[in-house]
Amino acid sequence: MLIERLLNQGNGPLAAQVMRFAAARHKLLAENIANVSTPGYRNKDLDVAGFQQMLRDRVQLRRESPPGTVGFDDIWTETIDRGGLLFHDRNNRSIEQLVTDSAKNALLHNLVVEILRKQFGSIESALRERIG
Amino acid sequence: MFTSLDIGASALAAHRTRMDTIASNVANISVTRSADGRIEPFRRRMALLAPQADAAGSPGVRVAQIVADPSPFRSVYEPGHPDADEAGYVKYPNIDLAMEMVNMMEASRAYEASVTMMETTKAMLNSSLRLIA
Repeated sequence: MLIERLLNQGNGPLAAQVMRFAAARHKLLAENIANVSTPGYRNKDLDVAGFQQMLRDRVQLRRESPPGTVGFDDIWTETIDRGGLLFHDRNNRSIEQLVTDSAKNALLHNLVVEILRKQFGSIESALRERIG
Repeated sequence: MFTSLDIGASALAAHRTRMDTIASNVANISVTRSADGRIEPFRRRMALLAPQADAAGSPGVRVAQIVADPSPFRSVYEPGHPDADEAGYVKYPNIDLAMEMVNMMEASRAYEASVTMMETTKAMLNSSLRLIA
């Protein structure tokens, strides 16, 4: 399929997976903020460094493999405990850290959305045989 | 992504309920009688929060229970008070205004944090929707 091949080239699939990751991480951060005063609640997160390492390895593998044989859909990391200082109510919250992480995560999400938009835009102009 | 909005909404509802109990405590700080007129001071109430895991699998937070604070009432020597006991002491609710104020600030900050999170969620959803447009 032509469309399939067009969409699976370049960094499109990678950006889509990063977008899924950012959405899932945002959900966990929202849950942590919702439970900021819940006694005994342990803050959750996704392993960002682990995810990025897996992406790097997969990009390397993709370069060395024939086109269309390597995808990014199966790359994921498990949910981890955010760690940090434990308060007297046994909650390991750090609201500043949570808000910073959520802002960074939203920026990452918007960045990959822009990359995908640009890519879709160039495919569209190629299909229309017109620039702009 | 819509789940993130539901999580935020659950936090708003929980912290609003918490704020309601605090408001009720502050309003009843000098109440020495029950609703039916008996001499019984108002007992301080607390909202207990717990993580939520409903059938739809949407996580968040909820008020698990509103419990009465079992700590002793404040005894104040006021022999002329109609609700004073034989020794002249009036039992007032076990409410400390300073503690209620601190709890109120915490509830209000947690509420604001959830609103900020929901704003971020909306911004992310909007940027995703721009992919279609």
